[in-house]
Amino acid sequence: MSWAAFSQQPVTVRYLVQAAEARDFQPYVEAFNQKHPKINLEIVTGPVNTNLVEDLYTSAFLLGDSPYDLVYMDIVWVQKFAAAGWLRDLSTWVNSDQLKPYLESVIQGGSYNGKLYRMPFNTDGGMLYYRTDLLNKIGANPPETFQDLIQISKTLQQQDLIPWGYVWQGKQYEGLSAMFVEILEGYGGFWINPDTQAVGLDKPEAIQAVEFLRQTITEGISPEDVTTYSEEETRLLFQSGQVAFLRNWPYVYALASDSESQIAGQFAIKPMLHIPSLNSGACLGGWGFGISKSSPHPEAAWEVIQYFNQVDVQRQFFLKTGYIPAREALFTDAELVAKYPHFPSLFNVIENAVLRPPIPQYAQASDILQRYLSAALTGKKTPQTAMKAAAQETRTLLEIQS
Amino acid sequence: MKTKTIAQREQFTGWLLIAPAFILLILVFVYPILRAFLLSLYTENLGTQLQPVFSGFNNYQRLLGDGRFWQSLWNTSVFTLIAITIELAIGMSIALVLNQSFRGRGFVRTAALIPWALPTAVMGLGWAWIFNGQYGVVNDLIQRLGFMGENITWLGDPTRAMFALIVADVWKTTPFFAIILLAGLQSISQDLYEAHSIDGATPLQSFRQITIPLLMPQIIIALLFRFAQAFGIFDLVQVMTGGGPAGSTEMVSIYIYATVRRYLDFGYGAALVVVTFLLLILAVAIAAFVLSKSRVNVVGGK
Repeated sequence: MSWAAFSQQPVTVRYLVQAAEARDFQPYVEAFNQKHPKINLEIVTGPVNTNLVEDLYTSAFLLGDSPYDLVYMDIVWVQKFAAAGWLRDLSTWVNSDQLKPYLESVIQGGSYNGKLYRMPFNTDGGMLYYRTDLLNKIGANPPETFQDLIQISKTLQQQDLIPWGYVWQGKQYEGLSAMFVEILEGYGGFWINPDTQAVGLDKPEAIQAVEFLRQTITEGISPEDVTTYSEEETRLLFQSGQVAFLRNWPYVYALASDSESQIAGQFAIKPMLHIPSLNSGACLGGWGFGISKSSPHPEAAWEVIQYFNQVDVQRQFFLKTGYIPAREALFTDAELVAKYPHFPSLFNVIENAVLRPPIPQYAQASDILQRYLSAALTGKKTPQTAMKAAAQETRTLLEIQS
Repeated sequence: MKTKTIAQREQFTGWLLIAPAFILLILVFVYPILRAFLLSLYTENLGTQLQPVFSGFNNYQRLLGDGRFWQSLWNTSVFTLIAITIELAIGMSIALVLNQSFRGRGFVRTAALIPWALPTAVMGLGWAWIFNGQYGVVNDLIQRLGFMGENITWLGDPTRAMFALIVADVWKTTPFFAIILLAGLQSISQDLYEAHSIDGATPLQSFRQITIPLLMPQIIIALLFRFAQAFGIFDLVQVMTGGGPAGSTEMVSIYIYATVRRYLDFGYGAALVVVTFLLLILAVAIAAFVLSKSRVNVVGGK
């Protein structure tokens, strides 16, 4: 083979995606390759579990010569990967017009030290699912505040209309932190301020937030077992018609509307709860693309990012998959709303997005919170002592690694 | 003069023969341990952009005040000691039964091994469902038998979660004890028992005075194996509780994994490894010493 022939070989750009999503991406990868003969985009199919995908990316970067050019990232990995020096600063390519269509918090979640490392693609946010039929029976409005939820739950339970009032993710795992961020926001508290490194976990607002969750257990609104539930356990309980309120992610909507669900057509969604004077918050999740520092083809990788950044491509993708877009305009897009009538109300949720602290040590900070929160929720410690200790340990962590 | 050269030559051959094993041990044990110790003297984490910065014994100082490490060490010790004690007792009973001849013994022996052969992660998932508060078999059984009206939270309560882990581990690894002890039992001559009973000993006395002392090597081997294995338990806990609730079932291995792989805190992770390693060596040394002492007593008393 002559050198000229060799240089015309397309460069290969790879990224790692969870197995289920890899299938969704496949048609777009083929379409991209047809349009770009000089680039050969390839998906590497990864495990279903997100933690394992993170592990695979981590190992690849630690070993230096990463086989992945693009990095398809969960929002909570960005700062860690960036601080470790594994990602390229996208600011050299991206212009502000390309960022305008996205919510500010989504952009902030993809940045570290004022530089952009991740282009948003889809989002995720926590919200309240509620049973419309039950609320109609007792003539109640959907709850706005934490007190509303407690009152309505008690009324429903006293009238024997439902075994449980409210379920949420109480197991010691990442989902617990995500859920708590929303309650914290609703009480006006904060976890870690990324700019000042201040820790707010032992502030009165944070303690009240924990007390609310504990109260749902002690007053029998949530089953005691809620402290072992992750998303799926709570979804199944809600879907089998045994609970009036559920905190969960958007994916539940399609499943609970399914013909096999016992509550199809009898539920609705709304933003999370808050105290009377404040607004609700939705924990922001979601995925986007970054470029690996060790990639020999950053320009080609940027081509791919630009391809996925087009409105038409995104519309098609979300129309097909039902995932939640990151681009604001798509929530009210006629075609998408025709197929997913709940998208506009989803926007009300995502609009109030709250970030988990965008700091490199997030994983460790989250583990600290999870452990003490779990101790408080299971009654092993009082909310006050638990949160004091959590705040203390978090401060030590930030001091050691700053 | 000539004898000396023969002795020398034999010695040389001896060294030559153990050289491969020796080199292998250095490569897979000595080098990694020294490397870990060296790394533990550096700070290498996200704060230093993953560059090693010499920090002396800072990591060890931090470790002394790290409540999470000591709690996980305590959890691991509790789990290990209780689990292997129960496994030894039940494993011994099973071995004694399987040592008798009865119809279908071959089938029962094979069947007893099945839990041991199952992948831990798979059976951990199974046990997590068994102990599930709403749908679990355990709660269903308890309610059917009329002991308790309310559902019990198993994996959401610190003590009960540890209990559930121990039950799952006992279920899985008791066959290991049973098989090792059975092999030992079969090497004990029946003549000894006959002679002992002619002397008027009861079966219980025979068990204490013949079976236990002669089985001691197998018991020690099985205990040491299981001790090391249980101390490093990872998969079962990861699948069943993830270390929760409130870190009450977090094992040392899970903490080290999180420190290195998720927090990218390599220096500190190495310090955790070194301290755990030293404590483990100490524990094995003490256990081996106590066991050897008791064995001397048993034999010496004869």
